[in-house]
Amino acid sequence: MSDTTPYVSLKGMSKSFIGIKVLKDVDFDVRPGEVHALLGENGAGKSTLIKMMSGLYTPDAGTFTVGGEEVKFSSTRDAAAKGIATVYQELLLFPELSVAENVFLGNYPRTAAGIIDWAEVRRRTRDLLDQLDSPELDGDAKVLTLSVAQRQRVEIAKALSKDARILIMDEPTASLVESDVQRLMEVVRQLRARGVGIVYVSHRLPEIFALADRVTVLRDGAHVATRNIEEVDEQQLVSMMVGRPIDSLFPKAEAKIGEPVLEVKSLNHGRQVRDISFTLRRGEILGIAGLVGSGRTELALTLFGMTPATSGEILMEGRPVRITSPRQARDLGIAYVPEDRGLQGLVKAMAIRKNVSMATMERLSSGIFIKAGAEARRALEAVKRLSIRCRDIAQPVGELSGGNQQKVVIAKWLETVPKVLILDEPTRGVDVGAKAEIHTIMGELVKQGVAILMISSELPEVLGMSDRILVMSGGGITGEIDRTEATPERVGAAMTAHRNGIEEAVR
Amino acid sequence: MALRSLIRHETFLALLLVIVLFVLSQQSDRFFTVGNLLNQGRLMTEVGLIAIAMTFVIATGGIDLSVGSILGLSAILTGVFWQNAGLPLPFAAAGAIAVGTLAGFANGVIITRFRVPPLIATLATLALYRGLAEGISQARSVRGYPEWFYLLGQRDVLGVPTQLWILILAAVVASIILAYTTWGRTVYAVGSNEVASRFSGLAVEKTKLALYTASGFAASVAAVIFVSRVSTTRSDMGSGIELDAITAVVLGGTSIFGGRGTIVGTMIGLCLIQALKNGLSLAGVKGDGTIMLIGAVLILAILASNLFERSGTRT
Repeated sequence: MSDTTPYVSLKGMSKSFIGIKVLKDVDFDVRPGEVHALLGENGAGKSTLIKMMSGLYTPDAGTFTVGGEEVKFSSTRDAAAKGIATVYQELLLFPELSVAENVFLGNYPRTAAGIIDWAEVRRRTRDLLDQLDSPELDGDAKVLTLSVAQRQRVEIAKALSKDARILIMDEPTASLVESDVQRLMEVVRQLRARGVGIVYVSHRLPEIFALADRVTVLRDGAHVATRNIEEVDEQQLVSMMVGRPIDSLFPKAEAKIGEPVLEVKSLNHGRQVRDISFTLRRGEILGIAGLVGSGRTELALTLFGMTPATSGEILMEGRPVRITSPRQARDLGIAYVPEDRGLQGLVKAMAIRKNVSMATMERLSSGIFIKAGAEARRALEAVKRLSIRCRDIAQPVGELSGGNQQKVVIAKWLETVPKVLILDEPTRGVDVGAKAEIHTIMGELVKQGVAILMISSELPEVLGMSDRILVMSGGGITGEIDRTEATPERVGAAMTAHRNGIEEAVR
Repeated sequence: MALRSLIRHETFLALLLVIVLFVLSQQSDRFFTVGNLLNQGRLMTEVGLIAIAMTFVIATGGIDLSVGSILGLSAILTGVFWQNAGLPLPFAAAGAIAVGTLAGFANGVIITRFRVPPLIATLATLALYRGLAEGISQARSVRGYPEWFYLLGQRDVLGVPTQLWILILAAVVASIILAYTTWGRTVYAVGSNEVASRFSGLAVEKTKLALYTASGFAASVAAVIFVSRVSTTRSDMGSGIELDAITAVVLGGTSIFGGRGTIVGTMIGLCLIQALKNGLSLAGVKGDGTIMLIGAVLILAILASNLFERSGTRT
């Protein structure tokens, strides 16, 4: 914060792709030793902007200066030479190579004879990892054995190995759990203290308030504002991003909670789902909190028939059922919106129309032939009802933004008219506007009597949306907390403290 | 977008076929005659039937390398059931087709139940079924089929080779299935994203099992037609035919990674290869030259269609 002369400065940047302007006359700069947050909904131009800074795209117009001199990057190598490094959301490491090999890839220190100096590679990797407070990371470990958070630190080490003066981080916390987020934020603060300028792209406002010195908001490819963080509050940032005021981030709709729909008694599946019992009622949102690996998703998969229960009882509307396949779960009225949208939720190459009808194809066919007219009508209706923004229903789902893709998955399952809707990380990687829309949809569904089981890593979402919260840890339930009594501290404590207890008990 | 680029690929291919037909007809006056073209139709039926089933298999992201061996096995069994077991020929042929279908079903079970990748599973059964065929035949060939049996492989119905009618019928039925039925939609969905298909409650395993079974059925029907056309059975029949079928399918625009492909494309690809083979040999080109040219056409066609596609999609 001491130095206010920007190291990187962009003025009047513009960029078009096949005639469509994705960036219009945008100004942006980064000073040494600051965290500059870049905010905007999907499609606002954030990624185009950071790709220009990292040398992947060349601007159509505008001036780009680094350290006071004007530059024209034609490759990422040019950017690296100027001390600009990027940690992308989809980490670009080689899983089969070791940590040290990844850190110095293409940049190996060599001996006088021109041979790679492995001792030096190891020593410097260790050094970099220690700087990142990661003594547990082994430089010789293969990257594929690491967790997402650890891989991310390897990426940062890689950037530091090139003496990065500017570090661009694209949604670094999108796939991290809360404890790893805290640790990452510590690392970012340290880097800032060492004078590195950080461009921090994230949807999560609390992080931005905790970390950033300045914030720039983009919308529809245009620069909306750049402010010091003290000058703005959450509401203002959201309305700058969305272009309209949003009343509340978690609009909890009051619905009448009715009779039990799903009752689970002592459900087990392997080591990940242990002795789970709970009751879900009509019109209720039951939140499931827990760390990654706590068994949340495994529980959902068991209820959905992907990994059938090994023991225990499931009652649907009082009737005992055995669920051994997703097809059967669907026919019983259980729907599951999975955690990994791209892999599990959608066939990205296929049209919206075909994705929406995918779970209800039999119903939309005359035994053999798909009724194209009925299918198109259902898809159009879904697009309208969930306000899915698209060109038309023939557009491949892969072309939509994250939020709209998620709405297509939800639409697919609403077509089955579920009694129980399981939502696994319903708003991960979704921008603020679409997130509020998804929450509104959830509110409408419970009003119609649907029972929702919502798994989320985002504590505010769990606390804001749920009527009741189940906390899972080590495959079992470690807490059941009513909405009125739920605080972040109580839920957080159940997520971690109890796990230690269980692990000890297991040992 | 995907549909549009497919149509573009097929239009391009059809155009290429027209050009090839034109050029070849200039090279030899025996090429572009009704008689010759119909005869070529007769010759390509066996590959064609297999290629139709193969289009489905490849569209799910799978492959079936064992079809040539299933053809050989069914051909041998037709002869053995008839001559050695003394069954009436129609029953012998039906029995051989049943065994071939079962061989396809076995492929399906290995792939879906035991989760062996299709390439490896069918590579293994390629050897296995061929070995069976050779063991059963003891290197003897069966000849002397009754005259009526040649109606299938050597005679015409309404002026068109009998088996060509079968191919046309199969192609029409298959295109309708692939384009308009829940089953066809499942094939594309599984080929594009198998995990998401399973998460959507689609019958992934059942569909695959049915496809490999159908592939075995198609290969054994082709076997009976083959026997009728050449009047004899030998255990090496159909070896290498899997590669001809795969070439036609891929040339026709079906993605080897699954999720894309049409029967129309496969049929055009099939005609293109057959026309090149025949036309070039009539023009006096040697066999090896023909194979090389077919290889080159395959690569060019894929390159050209990728080029079209890239210009159509945004970066």
